[in-house]
Amino acid sequence: MELSNIEKLLEKYFEGETTLSEEKELKVYFTGESVPAHLEKYKDLFQFFSNESQVTTTSEVALSTNRVPWYTWIGVAASIALIVGLFIKDVPPGVDPEGVYGTYDDPEIALQKTKEALDLVAKLMNEGKKDLVYLNEFDTAKKELVYLNEFENAKNKLIK
Amino acid sequence: MKERVFITLTNGFKDKLYRLAKRLLVSNEEAEDATQEVLLKLWRNKTKIAEYKNVEAFAMTMTKNYCYDKLKAKEAGNLKIVHSNYKDERPSLQREVEARDSLDWVGKIMDGLPEQQRMIVQLRDIEQYNNAEIAEMLEMNETAVRVALSRGRKTIRQELLKKHNYGVV
Repeated sequence: MELSNIEKLLEKYFEGETTLSEEKELKVYFTGESVPAHLEKYKDLFQFFSNESQVTTTSEVALSTNRVPWYTWIGVAASIALIVGLFIKDVPPGVDPEGVYGTYDDPEIALQKTKEALDLVAKLMNEGKKDLVYLNEFDTAKKELVYLNEFENAKNKLIK
Repeated sequence: MKERVFITLTNGFKDKLYRLAKRLLVSNEEAEDATQEVLLKLWRNKTKIAEYKNVEAFAMTMTKNYCYDKLKAKEAGNLKIVHSNYKDERPSLQREVEARDSLDWVGKIMDGLPEQQRMIVQLRDIEQYNNAEIAEMLEMNETAVRVALSRGRKTIRQELLKKHNYGVV
């Protein structure tokens, strides 16, 4: 580019009236080799500008300051399992997936089996009741307390 | 908005935020902090990102405001510590030694500009935004941007000429 042109552009530049593309021209000119001595002083300026635009930040952005590490979720899962386990302890009624308790189609057999089952329960209950015999001891002991009435009688006599 | 989308979106102008912050705050660490802080703020308000016309310009404005706050806090802090009686001539000597490199010298001149001019020169001559964009970012009108730009550039020229004439390198 012609020298006079450059000088004119420079003048405009310092007035703040150059366009961005004109400024780019100036930058190209002054970072080049053939700069006359009397404009040498502006070389540093434009060299500085183009150097400065290369400066970059070294640090990475740390956005995830509130991210929870993955293993904390194990604890959450465990506590949920624990709570569910505490509150749901028996299988809901009517659920008999494998037919463990059996069922009978024939009412006769069903009756018989029911009787058997009830017998079993009755027998076991009687067995259990045998131990309750000792409760009779309590009755006999209570009878002996009748002698306390004697005390009462004697007291009444004293009052008279 | 997913994290990855956000990062690719902000990677486009992350360095520009950093450079603006560095121009204002000077220190690398503080500029890094400012960039992080602005991006985090943006991330926290990610639901509103769609509402902004120009996320980049908005982020630039946030950076500017953040840096202004920092500078204000620093000024307030400095008032307590700095004592004029203890001032000596060393800083200027140190500055000359540090500015051996002539490009550094330009940087020093630029950092000596008033904050607003410094930002405008940064955004225009380094980041190559047009005046309308700069006006939006800095919440100014375009004419004021142009005037401040011209003033900033002229000051830089003056300082450059001074250095050139005295041969202070």
